[in-house]
This record gives sequence, structure tokens and C-alpha cells, in this order.
Amino acid sequence: MKKSVLLWLFFSLIIGRGIAQTPTFPVNGVQDERPDRVAFTNATIFTDATTSLEGATLLIRGGVIEAVGKTVKIPAGTRVIDLKGKRIYPSFVESYAAYGMPEVKREARGFRGTPQMDSKKKGAFGWNQAVLPEVRAAEVFTGNPQEAAELRKLGFGSAVTHSQDGIVRGTSALVALLDAKDQEALIKGPVSAHYSYSKGSSTQDYPNSLMGSVALLRQTYYDAQWYKSVKGKTETNLSLEAFNQNQSLPQVVEVTDKLGALRTAKMGKEFGVTYILRGSGDEYQRLPEIKATGLSFILPVNFPVAPDVEDPFDAGIVSLTEMKHWEMAPSNAALLAKEGIPFSLTTATLRNKSEFLANVRKAIAAGLEESAALAALTSVPARQMKIEDLVGTLKPGLLANFLITSDNLFSESGTWYENWVKGVRYVLTDMNQTDLRGSYDLAVGGRQGLKLNITGKSDKPEYQIVVSDSVKVTPKVSRQGDLLTLSFNLDPKKTKGENRIAAYIDGKNIKGDGYDAAGKELTFLASYKEGARAARPDSARKAPLAIGKIIFPFTGYGTEEKPKQETILIKNATVWTNEKEGILTNTDVLLQNGKIAKVGKGLSAPSGAKSIDGTGKHLTNGIFDEHSHIALYSVNEGTQSVTSEVRMGDVVNSEDVNIYRQLAGGVTTSQLLHGSANCIGGQSAVVKFKWGETPDNMLIPEAQFIKFALGENVKQANWGDAARVRFPQTRMGVEQVMMDAFLRAKAYEKTWKEYNAASNKAGLAAPRKDLELEALVEILNKKRFITCHSYVQSEINMLMKVADSLGFTINTFTHILEGYKVADKMKAHGANGSTFSDWWAYKMEVKDAIPYNAAMMSKVGVNTSINSDDAEMARRLNQEAAKTVLYGGVSEEDAWKMVTLNPAKMMHLDGRLGSIKAGKDADVVLWNANPLSVYAKPEKTIIEGTVYFDLEKDKELRQSIASERNRLIQKLLTAKAGGTPTQRPQFQRPRHFHCNTLGGLSEEEGQVRYFGGQFTCDGSCGY
Amino acid sequence: MKRLFAAIISLSVLAPAAKAQNDAAAAPQKAPIALTGGTIHTGTGQVIENGTLIFDKGKITYVGAATTSFPAGTETVSVVGKHVYPGLISPANQLGLVEIASVRATNDQQEVGDYTPNVRALIAYNTDSEVIPTVRGNGVLITQATPVGGVVSGMSSVMQLDGWNWEDAVLKKDDGVHLNWIGYFRRSFDGTGVSTVKNDKKDEQLHELDQLFNDAIAYAQSTPATVNMKLEAMKGLFDGSKNLYVSADYGKEIIEAVKFAKGKGVKKIVIIGGEESLLAADFLKENQVPVIVNTTHRLPNRTDDDTDLPYKLPYLLQKKGVLVGLGYIGLHWRTRNLPFLAGTVGGHGLTPEQALQLVTLNNARILGIDSYVGTLEKGKHATIVVSAGDLLDMRTAKVEKAYIQGKSVNLDDKQKKLYRTFSEKYGR
Repeated sequence: MKKSVLLWLFFSLIIGRGIAQTPTFPVNGVQDERPDRVAFTNATIFTDATTSLEGATLLIRGGVIEAVGKTVKIPAGTRVIDLKGKRIYPSFVESYAAYGMPEVKREARGFRGTPQMDSKKKGAFGWNQAVLPEVRAAEVFTGNPQEAAELRKLGFGSAVTHSQDGIVRGTSALVALLDAKDQEALIKGPVSAHYSYSKGSSTQDYPNSLMGSVALLRQTYYDAQWYKSVKGKTETNLSLEAFNQNQSLPQVVEVTDKLGALRTAKMGKEFGVTYILRGSGDEYQRLPEIKATGLSFILPVNFPVAPDVEDPFDAGIVSLTEMKHWEMAPSNAALLAKEGIPFSLTTATLRNKSEFLANVRKAIAAGLEESAALAALTSVPARQMKIEDLVGTLKPGLLANFLITSDNLFSESGTWYENWVKGVRYVLTDMNQTDLRGSYDLAVGGRQGLKLNITGKSDKPEYQIVVSDSVKVTPKVSRQGDLLTLSFNLDPKKTKGENRIAAYIDGKNIKGDGYDAAGKELTFLASYKEGARAARPDSARKAPLAIGKIIFPFTGYGTEEKPKQETILIKNATVWTNEKEGILTNTDVLLQNGKIAKVGKGLSAPSGAKSIDGTGKHLTNGIFDEHSHIALYSVNEGTQSVTSEVRMGDVVNSEDVNIYRQLAGGVTTSQLLHGSANCIGGQSAVVKFKWGETPDNMLIPEAQFIKFALGENVKQANWGDAARVRFPQTRMGVEQVMMDAFLRAKAYEKTWKEYNAASNKAGLAAPRKDLELEALVEILNKKRFITCHSYVQSEINMLMKVADSLGFTINTFTHILEGYKVADKMKAHGANGSTFSDWWAYKMEVKDAIPYNAAMMSKVGVNTSINSDDAEMARRLNQEAAKTVLYGGVSEEDAWKMVTLNPAKMMHLDGRLGSIKAGKDADVVLWNANPLSVYAKPEKTIIEGTVYFDLEKDKELRQSIASERNRLIQKLLTAKAGGTPTQRPQFQRPRHFHCNTLGGLSEEEGQVRYFGGQFTCDGSCGY
Repeated sequence: MKRLFAAIISLSVLAPAAKAQNDAAAAPQKAPIALTGGTIHTGTGQVIENGTLIFDKGKITYVGAATTSFPAGTETVSVVGKHVYPGLISPANQLGLVEIASVRATNDQQEVGDYTPNVRALIAYNTDSEVIPTVRGNGVLITQATPVGGVVSGMSSVMQLDGWNWEDAVLKKDDGVHLNWIGYFRRSFDGTGVSTVKNDKKDEQLHELDQLFNDAIAYAQSTPATVNMKLEAMKGLFDGSKNLYVSADYGKEIIEAVKFAKGKGVKKIVIIGGEESLLAADFLKENQVPVIVNTTHRLPNRTDDDTDLPYKLPYLLQKKGVLVGLGYIGLHWRTRNLPFLAGTVGGHGLTPEQALQLVTLNNARILGIDSYVGTLEKGKHATIVVSAGDLLDMRTAKVEKAYIQGKSVNLDDKQKKLYRTFSEKYGR
């Protein structure tokens, strides 16, 4: 590998003299301008992915194409290169390169080190170290000969390169992959503007979560709009200036998965931007939604390494998702192409760039049309980046970037000869070297009747001497131009020692002299007999390999068809209505059009209705979990004390198997909350567990909630000694943060009101839109409601007083383990309480927690629910509700409401959820027994008339997981046996977030857990 | 409901409200006691309807059908309509060693060093822990106080949940040594979350462990002039007087750990955790190694696993012929839910009586205390729970009486006191 790189450098040094001189630079010596017109004749020229011209001519002058066509007139003084039988293609365009960019130095961010609240970047730039729109690739570009050579070998002639650092990354530049002065290599800048969700080298705390990154990007748009419009600026912000300037360029966002693509498309709609997405390779898993974005993609061809599944224990670790993705990833491009989704291909994310062409060929083998692949490497990226007047096709006026090949570009047997970049010739394989492939009659010394066969690729031939039918010898051969050196032993079984021959190519024959093993002189004559057999034509390409089906979501328990809404009549069940009718026996419930249509006895089934016998079974509402952190990519933006701008709705993960597991526990609705690492956290996502749907289809948009938190987590009491910087560190400070935030929000609202009320806005600039304060204004105006993590009575009382003084109500205190101490005050204030059944003793502020809390709050008159805050407990919330019967003697009917009607009320959704009543959402669960019993389990979980969990179907799913796994394991074993490299699997247990502690496992508090006795920090800080 | 409230209020007249300390330890049994008319779940699988249970001097003297012949001076207690169970046994737990998990000063479960077989949970067991009565109140009467951390964490002791001090409370002293098997994977924290990564030091650590056991074997065969407390602590492993408790979850690790311990001549081996032990079930059966499954209330480890795998794991192991116990490992306060962990298995494969055995007889057999406790049989300790309904179902469970070796245990606790105190606030 290294040797070959050196070889190209060698060639490039020799041939690179054709580079035009830089006119503004002084010359040391005499002027050395050379004739710079070259014509390539008799070639098959692919001017673009779909147009080829036979016997055509390409005429270039300097670095630019002058003419291309079948009837090009060649001026005198033109060097002519005859390419008869050869092909010319446009060189590839890499649209997502970091070529020539400074190295991104990611400082190790110590876990719970001293917080860094401010940016470390010096100068008149923005406040956040991850927002770097001012970085211009053109200004920081310096060529890198080795990387350029590597890319040229892969067929690239130019690259759009940018500094891949930060959330806002500045602009890219188009560079030619030349070994030349940077002044010659840099073609154009700026080309495109770049964004990501990764903060890169930023050491600043904010943001430390995905939703924080989204929020920061969103706020930056608003800040830039304000900066553009504001009159009488009091500050100069070069970042915002650059951000605004960059908006006219193609806007490229890097995402790390298919849901990131959907999220970004939504943001694009919000700001009227048509993004180009640097995808992740799993787009096929949500194809219809991806298509509906209408966006174009830059796709990596980074396919997963095959997991080694020979050992059954190890195989057990590999998930169905991983195995299916291994199988299907090469099909991604083909599947997108079939849907007409435009994309280019990039080497980005490949660990080893040399795999690029092999992987493109894999994509072709998986069904991608060759012309589509070629377009994705040439004209598409050029169009995406709006540089089609410079690169990507072969047209007059464009850069002279082209490849010369022996054959079809993608054919494995073909040879790539040269990659010309901006008129500079780079040799990949010497095309003037005689192709020796063929069979020869061979005479060595006195021995006649031997045969020499030369096969393989023309640039990597394989030699074999046939001594007899049973004796075949592979000589060692090295070649320099027309000279060959060979050594071989014709009778390896009988004699030792080698014949050594120095030979040369004489017309079609090979002649030479040398010595045998004894040192005697020897002649060598290989007489050409016939050429090598023609390579297999491309049309004989194998049909795409059989692959499994896409399932929704793309994980175990996903299904090929998303479940559909039905008309369902459940007959003769015990129905827990949660209405004044109470628990009705032998009752029928009809579900129609996603709603509960009728509740009564002896109902008849409408035509087409599915009838379910509920005899001996219990029908209830689906469980509503008021406090959950499942199905989220991240939970805490635990950096600043106030982060009301972040939205959990931006980071919902619809593919989390815990959704299905909770359906199996009867949960249908859940509030996905921000964590409790700061006083004012983020906005909730309230979702229905419509397994298989996208995040947006799961949301209940009218439920507008936000997480607040009090106590040990927000004052970082259990975060170690380094975390003593952020305000507040005491409960005293918490009150001040809350009060200050709302006072700021009030002032903000006033400013906007005044602006909106002004009759003549001509001389006025709109105030800056502040998403953090907007959320707080919504609270003040009772459009958004608080769920506040809380434990001890003093802080609960405090927050109610803060709210009272500002004229709003704390909607819900969650955890609220000392709620029983201030239940009377909560009732007077109008707060709801959402608590655990029996948690305590995991930290200081819960030492007075009692399991009678729910019962007592409820008795005092506080609307009370039981929540999980835990992926595991959520699937047993029926049991947790039952504990209020044990602790405090709540009636069974009221106990059940603690996980259904009461949370629906506190989430202001009892108009459509929480009881079995005609007109409400058909979100119901059919249980095999009294739902409060430890022995009870759901047999069917239905949301809006769609059965999302069915005990019988579950058995089938388990079987199909097993058989699909087995199919893939067999396929992986075959692949391994066929030489596919494999990798030993690693156990990836998905992360779970909680607000509290699961006994020793305490995530929110960032303590330690004892797992298998290993004392490890589990310290996710504050969920 | 109203009646219950009244009962609690009447209790509050007797006991002063919300004081910080626990109540007095129970006094020794003075006279024979007969529990009559209840449904007796003996723990052997037998259920005696309308049965009678008599105990004297801390031991059971009669279990069976209703009888009228009582020893002289017997106090008869009617438990008609109620359910009688053996006291539940909670293995591998930190109850009594940890008070408030996040407050370091209240944690006594882990010593410094990777190899500390000599440290004894026994003497750190705090009978005055306010958590203990809350666990006892749900029918757990015996716990195995267990040190954690490092590779060899130390020695556990089996404790009764009543007593003035650890000497009073102990049922079986230094019953075993706890080894955390050196895994293929280790957990790593990268600032954003925990992931499981390959343990690169496995060979090195295994070598160290091997050396420790070799030295312990040599030490046990002679009487060295200088006492080595670590090796002294391990002696009992080779003559069967101590269990070796091995924490291991992954199938391969379980096999590896058992082979290691057998190879060193360890007589009694117990696997703790065993989340993935199903893959090694046949091996465990052949080698007669029992498993204490760690909580049924956990998530499956793998996305593709059956969603209810943790619920039914004890059933699946038992079906394969493995002796299975059940515990709430590492979760001190949560041990109060031990009956419901078993109840969950009752809804997932086992019968309720088999589920009960997981936390009574099976745990007793595994810990080597089944000659005293674990079932209600003549001659065994009168360590008994009386519940208003099915003890394993939170919907019906309500522990009304508990006896430890015949001593009537006070079932009040800090949380009930706080409940009473604030009930007073709201005037009820």
C-alpha cells in the first residue's frame, strides 16, 4: 500500500510538470511555459452519466476542457493521445470531504470536571464555541499530497471540503486534488454551508445533548434574523454576520441516522431551508418518510463489518437490527434510487477509504444502476453543490478532470489508467505498457513444449508455466516497462534451485537469457499463441442478492406491515370504566374509527368488525405514564440552569424496543420528560406508543408541558466536588433562578407586546426571538404546563409561592415524595401529584418518603398518579398502582385511576383519554385477570382502534425473530467461510435513563451501582 | 378501608408518633402459640386449608389440619381467612449495610481492594437501620448481608430481621465468600453514558485470582506460623463449610467460573445474578450448581429477547432442572418487594406455591439454612408470616403478624409512623 502510494508520487513528480505556473509568483530561473493543448482521440467518452460518444475526441487546454465530441477540430501544436478502445469518464466529485482541513482536536471532556460556561474562542464571535459559521474552508485549506493521491486513486478529481467541527461549521471550498500550490488547487470558495448536531472540539458545556444541539441551531437562526434586522447595533457579532452571508449557499446538514434526517427536514420547513443531508446509510429503514422530505442526500457507503456469529453465545449478543443492517446496508442507495430520491456518494465516514470502490460495487451488486452510481459520483454532487459549471461532467469550459479506463468504470476486471485533474495527468496504471495476457508456447534451454499462461488483470498479471498436465509452476516475475525478470524451478519435486531469466518484450513474444540452478546459461523464448479470453461482459452481472424484508421499526418486534385501525367489538368483559358507572361486568365495548363508539350490554357487531370474546377478562383504559424517559436519544441538557428552549420532541426514538415492551405491559401513553439536572429543563414530548410509526406520528401535539426540577439534582449535590460552580448550589438559589427566569420572561413578553402594538413599525426592529423565554411566557399564559421534579416539602412550598406571586399554577409535582406533608397546600394551589409507589432511601432528600404518599395526597384531594420514571417499572405500572391498595387502603377502582384517568387529567387530556366512554380515544387493554393483580398480563393493547400488542401475535413475532435471526446467522457463516472479514461482537446494552434510582442503580443521581460487584460509575448526571 | 384507618389510628395511641428510632426488638417466646383456622402455605408445596400451626420455644411443634389438642398454656390466635407462610429469605443483599445510598457516610458494603475475602458483613450489619422494618413489614424475615465490590468482596452472613444487635440477629455467621467473576466485558463510562466494552485485562485478572486460590489451597493444607486473614477466610471453601457465591450473568462466564471453582476443589458453588444463565442451564444442572436469579423486575438484556424473559427466567431454569432462588441483589430498600418478584413468576410459568418456594425453601437450601428455615415443618424455626391475603400479590398482601424464632415481631416502622403523624395533621 505504502509502496504504491510512493509510486504515484513518483509518477506525479515526473508528469506533474505540466502544471500551469502561477502568474503572480516570481520565477526563479527562466520562464518555462509549455504547449498546453492535449487531444484525446478515438475514445468512448462519457460526457455525463447517461451520455456516451463513441470514437470521440476530448480537447483540453491547460486545466480546462476546450471541446468534446465526435468532430472536434484539433489545432496545430496539440499533443494527441490515441485512446482507441479506451474510455473517458468525468473524474468523481467528493462532496463531503475534510481534505486539507486542519485536524479537529477534540479535548477529552472530563466527566463532571469544572463547568465551562463561556466560549473559549477569542474575538468578536458568537457566544457558543460550537457555532462557527465564520470558519471558511478556503482560508484554512492547505493541500495534502498523500490524501490527494488516495482520493485520485479512488477516481476523485475534486472535492468540496469543509472543516468538520462544530454544530455550525462555516463554509466549504471546492479544491482540485492536485499536488500543486494551494493557489492552484483552490478552485472556489465558499461553496456550501455546513451544519451538524455534534459540538466537535467545543469544550463549552452547552449543549451536551442532542436536543440541546437542535435548540442551539434553531436559536442561531433567530439570532441571525434579529442581527440582520436590528437597527443601531450595540454589538458586532462576526459569527452571526457570517451565518447570514452563508444562507445563500447550499445548506448541508450531517445527520447520524434516519430519524435525524426526518428531524432536520422538519427544521428546514421551520426556517424555509431546503437542506442537503449528509446521510448515515440507514435511510432505507424509513424510506417513505425519507422520500416525503423531498430532500437530497449525500450518502456514505460505509457498510457494517460482518459480526462473527460462529460462537452461539457471541451470536446471541448481536441484535436482529445489526444483522439485518449488515445484510441490507449495501441496498440503501439502490432503494433510494428506486424511489427517485436524489443522492451523491461520499467516502465520508469510511474508516478505510480504500474500501470505497469495493463498496460502491457492492451497492451496484445490490441493485444500484451503474449510471445512477456514476451520476452520484459526478453530476449529482456537482449540482447539489452548485458547481456544475466547474466539475462533474465533460463539457467545454469545465475543469479538465477526467478518468481514462480500459473498460466499464465499475467493472472489476477493467483497468483505470489515468486520472487527469485540472489538466494534470496522474497515472494510475501505465496504459502504454503492453498487455501481456495470453498463452504462449515456451522453450527454456533445451526444454520444448512448455506453456506460459498470463492471466489476471493487465496491471496485475498472473503468470503460470505449464510443464506437464500435472506440473504447474508459478514463476516469480517483476516488470519494469518492457523488461521482465523471472525466476522459477521447472521440477520443484526433483530439483532444488531456481532458473533466473532476464527477458524483454519483443513484439508479441517474450525473449530472454539467464542461468539455470547450476549456473549454466539458458535461453528463454515464449511465443505468443493466443490472447486472453475476454472478460465477462457486464450484462452477465448477477441479479441482486436476495435480502430480508424491511420492518417497522427496524428492530426485533417490528413488522413488515404497520398495524392498521380496525372496528373491534369486545364482548362480555369486566369493564373498568373509570366513570361513575364504575366496574361493569359482562359488558361489551365497541371501538370504531379510533374511538370508543359504544359501551353496553348485548351490542351487535357492525359489518366488518372484529369480535373479541372478553369472557373472564378485564378491559381497561391503556396506562398513562406521567413520567418516562424511554424512546429518547438524550434526556438532559444539564448544562445551564435554564434550558426551556430544548424540546424532547426533537429527540424521540421511535425504534426503542421499550415501546413494545411497555405495550406488553398495557402502557399506551407516556410523557417523555427532560431530566432533572437543572432548574428549568426542557419541553416534554407526550406520545402514544404507536409502535412502527415515526416520532411525529406518535406525538400528542396539544399536550404542551415542560420539566422543572428542584433539590439535590439541580444544586448538583451528588455530583462531586468539581460541580460547585454552576448557580444554584442551594435551595435558596433555586428559588432565585426560578424567579429570575419568570421576571425575564415577563419583561420579554412586554417588549414584544409593545412592538406588536406599535402602529407604525417602520422605524422599529423586531425584538430578538428568544426560545428559552418564549417557553416561559407560554407558562405565564397557561399555554404550557409544568411538571416539576420535587422531593422535600420546603422546596415544594417555595415553588408554589413563586407561581402564586406570578399568577400561574404549578400543574404537576412529579416524584413529590413529601407531598403527603404539604398535600393541603398543593390542593389549595391546584397542583397535581405524580409519585412513586414505594421508592425511598436512595438519597438524602428521600429519607422521609413513604409508600402511603399517593393514598394520602389522594385522600386530601390532590389529583394523584403513580408513574414509573423507569423503563422497567413502566411495564408493571398496574402492579405499582395496586400498591396503593396495600399502602393506604385505596379502593381498587381508585387505585386503577392512579395510572389511567388521573394522569390523563393532570395532562389535560381527560377529554379524550382516561376512561371508557363513548367518544373517547379507543386506547384500551384487555387483561387476563384483575389488572391490579401481580398475576395479570395484557392480552391486547389497542391504541385508537389499532392493535399494537397482541399476545398471540407476540408469539408469532418471537418465532419470526428466531427464524430471521437464524437465516441471517447462516448467511453470515457462509459469508465468513467465503472470506468476508468478521468482527467479534460487543455486548451493547441499550442505555436507559431514569430520574431516580433503581435501588443501587441510580442514574439520575450519578452514583455508583454494584453490578456483578464491580463498583462502576453509572453516573449519567441527573435524569 | 375505614376500618384500616381506624386500626392505624388506634396503633398510634400506643406508639408515640414519628420518632426516629426503631421499636424494641421482640422478646423471646414465653408460651406456646397456636395459629388456627388459616390457610397454611408450608413452603413444601403443600397448602393446608383451615390448618393449625403450633410453635413453642421458637420451634414449630405442629403443622397440619385443625386440631383441638394444644400443649398446656397455649395462646391461640385465630387466623381464619388469613394466609400463613414461612418467613421470606432475601439473599445477596445490602440491607443493614446501606442506609441512604447516595450518602457515603451511611454506606458499609464495599471495602478497598480487589481481594478482600476476609471482610465480614456481619459486624457492619446495623440492626437499627430504619430500612429494615419496612422490609420486614412485607414478610421478609431473613436477609443475607453481603459485601460487594472488587473481585473477591468478602464474607456474607445470614441475618434475621430482628434483634438488638448483630449478635442477636445472626442466623448463620460468615456463610460464604463472594466472588465477582472476571467478565469478558466491563462497563465503561464515556461522559455521555455507560457502554459495555471488552475487558482487556481479563487474562491478567484471572491469573491473579488463580494465584489467590492456589495460595488458599496451600494455606488450608498446613498450619502456617503467621495467620493470613485473607487465606484463613477462604479455608471453608475447600471443606464445604462455606459457600462460594459467584456473581456471573453471561452464559460463558458462568461455565468458566464454575469450572474454575470446581478445579480448585471448592465444594459448594452458587451462581448469583445469572441473567443469561439459561444458556448454561444444562451445565448447571449437571454440576448441581444452583442459581440465585437477580430480580424478575428487570428488562431483558437484548432487544430480541422475549419481552417477559426476566419474568419467566426462574421458571425456565427450574424446568431445566436447576435449583433456583430469587433475590433483589444490590437493592437494599427494594427488598420489600421480594414477595412480588416471586409473584411475578407465579404469573409466568410457576404455580404460586412454586413461586413462593423461590424465596423460601429454595433460597434456604441454597444458603444452607434449610434445616432451620424455609418451610413450615415440625422442628424448624417458628419464623412465620401471617398475611390477610396472598402474600405474593400486592393487590391482596397485608402482613399482619410475623414471628422470628417464635418471637412476635413489631411490624411498625418509620414510614407508618410518618403516615400516622400526617394523618393527624389532616385530622383523620
